[in-house]
Amino acid sequence: MTEFAALAQLTVVAMVPYLLASLGTMLGGLTGVFSVSQEGVMLLGAAIGFLVSYGTGSTTIGILLAAGTGAVFGAALGWATTVLRLDQFVVGLALFFAATGLAGLLYRIVIGQGATTPRVDTLPRLEIPLLSDIPVLGTALFSHNVLVYLAALLAVGAWFFLYRTRAGLDLRSVGENPKAADSLGIPVVRNRLWTATVGGALMAVAGAYLPLVYTGTYTDSIVGGRGWLAIALTFFGGWRPQFIVLGALFFAAMDVVALRAEVAGIDIPSQVLLVVPYVATLLVMVFAFRWAKVPEFLGRNYDRESRTA
Amino acid sequence: MSAPVLTDTDAPAPATERPAVRLLRGLLPYVLALVLAFAVSGVVIAALGYDVVEAYRTIVTTSFRTGFGFTETLTKWVPLTLLALGFTIPLAVGRFNIGGEGQLLVGATAAAGVGIVYADLPTAVLLPLVVLAGVLSGAVWAGIAAFLMGRFRVNEILSTVLLNFVSFQVLDYAATEVWSDPAAGVAATQRVGEGAELPVLGGPPGVHAGILLALLVAAVTTVVTRRTAAGFELRAAGANPRAAAINGIRVEKVAVVALVVGGALGGLAGALEVGGVHGRAIEGMQSNFLLLGIIIGLIARGSALWVPVVAFGIAILEVGASSMQRTVGVPAEMVLIIEALILIFLLLSDVIAGRLARRVT
Repeated sequence: MTEFAALAQLTVVAMVPYLLASLGTMLGGLTGVFSVSQEGVMLLGAAIGFLVSYGTGSTTIGILLAAGTGAVFGAALGWATTVLRLDQFVVGLALFFAATGLAGLLYRIVIGQGATTPRVDTLPRLEIPLLSDIPVLGTALFSHNVLVYLAALLAVGAWFFLYRTRAGLDLRSVGENPKAADSLGIPVVRNRLWTATVGGALMAVAGAYLPLVYTGTYTDSIVGGRGWLAIALTFFGGWRPQFIVLGALFFAAMDVVALRAEVAGIDIPSQVLLVVPYVATLLVMVFAFRWAKVPEFLGRNYDRESRTA
Repeated sequence: MSAPVLTDTDAPAPATERPAVRLLRGLLPYVLALVLAFAVSGVVIAALGYDVVEAYRTIVTTSFRTGFGFTETLTKWVPLTLLALGFTIPLAVGRFNIGGEGQLLVGATAAAGVGIVYADLPTAVLLPLVVLAGVLSGAVWAGIAAFLMGRFRVNEILSTVLLNFVSFQVLDYAATEVWSDPAAGVAATQRVGEGAELPVLGGPPGVHAGILLALLVAAVTTVVTRRTAAGFELRAAGANPRAAAINGIRVEKVAVVALVVGGALGGLAGALEVGGVHGRAIEGMQSNFLLLGIIIGLIARGSALWVPVVAFGIAILEVGASSMQRTVGVPAEMVLIIEALILIFLLLSDVIAGRLARRVT
């Protein structure tokens, strides 16, 4: 039973970066702004989160600054695709490159080239009184770092906002039919801008989570495809927070299983275990793209003066 | 995707457009983008306390100062051009091949495998086999994504990227379990037989003969996309899928074929890296070719004619980058930022040039 509790706890910890990055992707996507720069923005978030924590000794400031940087990248995507109406994928890729380069550059500048890799303290666990004493469940759900609780609250909050408030309905209408939304006086550009900005911030926090919770160190390969998996997860979750949580659980479980099987020395080549998350995602997408409801205007720019849109 | 992703600036402009307007549209964005990218990066380099002039001098001149630098640039040009073409061919149909890395690695693994297993065969037999193994496996690798896209409508951006991560493990398996070479010091396969090595042109140091293949591929791609029915279908399917479909072009099939061809080029790049540069498949041999290939393809606006030219420019920057890191101390990552900025400013300049051109007319 303790073994199961430990596995469940690991899974919950591994869920968070997927969940945050995917919620960020979802938020922008629901208004039609499709980001493909997750992998880069997460890496930049990881670099900034790590470096600031290293410099100031404060994990909180690290996470906040990472979020701010991610917001700048999200806002840049929003601005370039709404005000300038540039192609979303091309801008997204350009921002992905810029963020990737910036992450490596900042780390080399602060830490130096080829120097020993420094460590920072990882986020402490906050055991919730009483609840964390429940057998199994307490370990699995209620003794985690603060970001786990925040991510959970965020998912619930996002669901409530999007599906139980007028502003959320307006927001979703922008991604479904911007022309209709525009004619009703819903500000299309403003909605796209703020969702893209917040989305970028969430991706960067997802990245900062990796060094500040998992490893305590930064490497250029720390994100390891999680940004791309987050996009897949968002499709898989049908662009809805409640299913994205389930999807994140699935992705995290695959991570943990692959890790465990390797540690347990099961007689399978380690390479086979390591490709499991990616292959499983490919297979899942075959079905996800069948049933998933995608925002109608996902990845498409809105031009008020266009006659065809 | 309904709109063309990129406008091909080489397409004949309307006859009424005045030369001044054409110049504004065609050239101005590039000049602006280059100047702005280097200016912004220069401010950053200066703010970091490095010598900007010396840094830029190193970046630009390293490739031309020594024969070695120039050879290195040409050697880098080969995979960059091939991966960029592998990106732009599907892009013409509005599909994004972000899997060049994986296609290169799988191609390299297959090429190395053939080169090791049949090491005793003579060059005339083995070398074509090695190249063919790379091309075919790259095509098959992209074919997985193409199949999922064509049959199940799985987004190709995701499938090609995810296959990259699978390819790392394919190479790792080959390099540590099947043909491992403990003496190599890094995770790598054994050396291929002598018959699998590409002849060296000129030199010393000289460039491997794969550069001729890359040139040929670039030329053929240009001719095919511009002068043949297949190329016309490709461009039509990308420019306006609905109109193309109405006129009997099977858009989805064109997209699938384009993606497979793109993968074949990635696989070719891998085989040439094995036969011409490393003599084996090595983990990490993909370097940052994937990002650079995409940047090149986008800067060249998808034009097969311009890809080799832009690739040469990027190869110069890349070779200069490592030299700059050694002599001036600026981290080589700076160059990736310069390249990303060139692309970003090019996109922004398009907007500006478009507005200027409208004012001139």
